[in-house]
Amino acid sequence: MAHSGPVVCAVCGGSGPCDGKGKETLRAGVWVTNPVSVQVLGICSALAVTNKLENALVMGAALTFVCVGTNLFVSLLRNVTPRRIRMIAEVAIIATFVIIFDQVLRAYYLEMSKQLGPYVGLIITNCIIMGRAEAFALSNRPVVSMLDGLANGLGYAVVLGIIGFVRELMGTGALFGHQILGAEWYTPNQLMILAPGAFIALGFLIALHNAITGVNKPEGKGN
Amino acid sequence: MKKGSLYTILYAAVLGITCAVALTAVDRFTETRKVANVQAEEVQDILTVLGVPFDAQASSSDLLTVYESMVDEEEINGLTFFVSRHPEAGKLLATRFSGPGLLAPIEGLICLEEDMRTIYAISFYKQEETPGLGGQISSADFQDQFRGKMIVGPLGYPGIHLVNDGADQVNEIDAITGATMTSDKVEDMLSEIIERIIARSGADGA
Repeated sequence: MAHSGPVVCAVCGGSGPCDGKGKETLRAGVWVTNPVSVQVLGICSALAVTNKLENALVMGAALTFVCVGTNLFVSLLRNVTPRRIRMIAEVAIIATFVIIFDQVLRAYYLEMSKQLGPYVGLIITNCIIMGRAEAFALSNRPVVSMLDGLANGLGYAVVLGIIGFVRELMGTGALFGHQILGAEWYTPNQLMILAPGAFIALGFLIALHNAITGVNKPEGKGN
Repeated sequence: MKKGSLYTILYAAVLGITCAVALTAVDRFTETRKVANVQAEEVQDILTVLGVPFDAQASSSDLLTVYESMVDEEEINGLTFFVSRHPEAGKLLATRFSGPGLLAPIEGLICLEEDMRTIYAISFYKQEETPGLGGQISSADFQDQFRGKMIVGPLGYPGIHLVNDGADQVNEIDAITGATMTSDKVEDMLSEIIERIIARSGADGA
């Protein structure tokens, strides 16, 4: 099985439900191997829905919910799932969670459901979810798998939140729809609302992440 | 762990059924809210085209109350008209129209004044045309052009025309550049509903 680079704690001596790697798992998902800013996964939705902070946060919540649920069930079923249909089984589980979130959003927050459009449904094809199920949940126990899902979901949500914050503030001068920067002195930069703004913001964010962690060497050979 | 084909099939069946049951449960659980949302949306579209003021943040039940107190429904020759009395424009009658668009079906509402010839407002509330081109039909700029236009031409022929060289007739609209196909479809669906409206109001109109 190809591990797409996540750091899994080598010290498995813990006797708790997270096998002693809870903290490390959380840290890996949110920071060390952040799915968006390090692995550059799931950026289609990350770029598409971040023109408003609120949209970005709801999308982050959706992905976190799906990732936690999927990792839990994939992990629970990992010893009974036939290997050759495991990916189809994973997709079925992912799709179930995605549709549940989509239906609830449609029923209780229709306005947001409309703004996110197809992107909630498209979480089914998000590489982060399938990646975590394959790379982590298939070979770890349920509780720590849920933690991994939570960490990666949060990692995604944090990045989306930052991009959404920057884009909405610079693009409209507002946050959560409330005007923050005075209209008399601040001219909204419409570029930030449009697609290029998303690429620019994400690029700066990845550069910042690399500058802080000092990771700037070319990738090694192989995968 | 090695597992036989029968096991694989059984596993897939059980997983599939479990997922289906879960989704059905969620669907049933959210059904009433979703139905209410759809209703509220329809009501909002009708109130908007009839020019009835309402609070955009209002709950679906509040919207229904406004609708029931302000709007009557009249069924004439198979066309349902939503009728309301506007403080300035007088009696207004709106009806739905629909037809194929370029990419997906288009649905809208056309609202006429009491003479059944003058357009008070139009709304294309459901469309999935090319964003920026045909998709502009639901923009306020395009829809506002219809205000005050007639559904009958100067020579008495019914129909609204989307033209590209200055809309100077009472039944002409300045079409969207680059959206010829959408414009043709819109023209067709408007002609269809206009013919039905004229057939229904026939004698008293022209």
